[in-house]
Amino acid sequence: MPSNEKVIEELTGVPSVDIEAALDPAELDGVYRDSRECAALALSSGNTKLLLSPPTPRPKKG
Amino acid sequence: MEQSGTSTLLQGAVQDLASSVVSALRGGDHARAATPGVVDSDAGGIALAAVRVLGSDALLPSVLLGTPPDPDELAVFRKAVESFPPRADAAPAVLWSHWAMARTLRRLDPSSAAGEAEPGADWLDGASWQVLTHQLAVLAPLALPGEECAVTRAAGRRPVDVARGFVRAVRRRDWRQAAGAGRWLTLLDGVPTTLGLEAGLDFVELMGGQDPQVELQVRAARLLRAGAPV
Repeated sequence: MPSNEKVIEELTGVPSVDIEAALDPAELDGVYRDSRECAALALSSGNTKLLLSPPTPRPKKG
Repeated sequence: MEQSGTSTLLQGAVQDLASSVVSALRGGDHARAATPGVVDSDAGGIALAAVRVLGSDALLPSVLLGTPPDPDELAVFRKAVESFPPRADAAPAVLWSHWAMARTLRRLDPSSAAGEAEPGADWLDGASWQVLTHQLAVLAPLALPGEECAVTRAAGRRPVDVARGFVRAVRRRDWRQAAGAGRWLTLLDGVPTTLGLEAGLDFVELMGGQDPQVELQVRAARLLRAGAPV
């Protein structure tokens, strides 16, 4: 382990890998919204339409 | 993926710190990030790491509201900057986060060390709109008026892509990404008026505002829209 990482871990008790992971997190898996909620939001927000657009295609697995 | 115990502790400390920043942005009291007396203890070490993770937003109330930072708070922030130098091969988000902290430190404490050279931002120019939005949301602390850098210029060249990313994040219920992207959008020219950013931010706050890191970005966006003096 490089000395700098060791110093950080000794100083904070937190492995530097955990800090770097928190600083550069991967994108969360999406939980797609119910279209009715999108419609309610769009209707309540006046002249906006983007959230009433068709759902974003879900990524294909595999 | 299972998280380590320290990772969970760190996340909790970041949430606590974000809550105190939100409180200050609302005009309430700003609990200190950590006091110098506990920085050397285990709890203080976690608090110091939390300051590094929240980044320059740890001092956002001083930046946006113009209130002088508490000297102890500033000392902890400085220690976080000095204690966590990024590796040369660190990810761009890590490099930029540290650069942003150093910039904030210079701004609030002109006696601090000379500035760091800007990291490169080429990775954003070639990024898809989805990746661009994710990375900008991670780097939301850079979204400040009048504080230009290569990341703000890259965002400024792609307002429509960031708007698309905001909508995608809302639809995926990724409230942190949506809030961060929303903060950027308040600063960008050329954002489609049909986006309904104001209502979108209200919705993000309604759905994700119980997460202090979401609330922090929404509060910051509102202050920026209101023309916070920076």
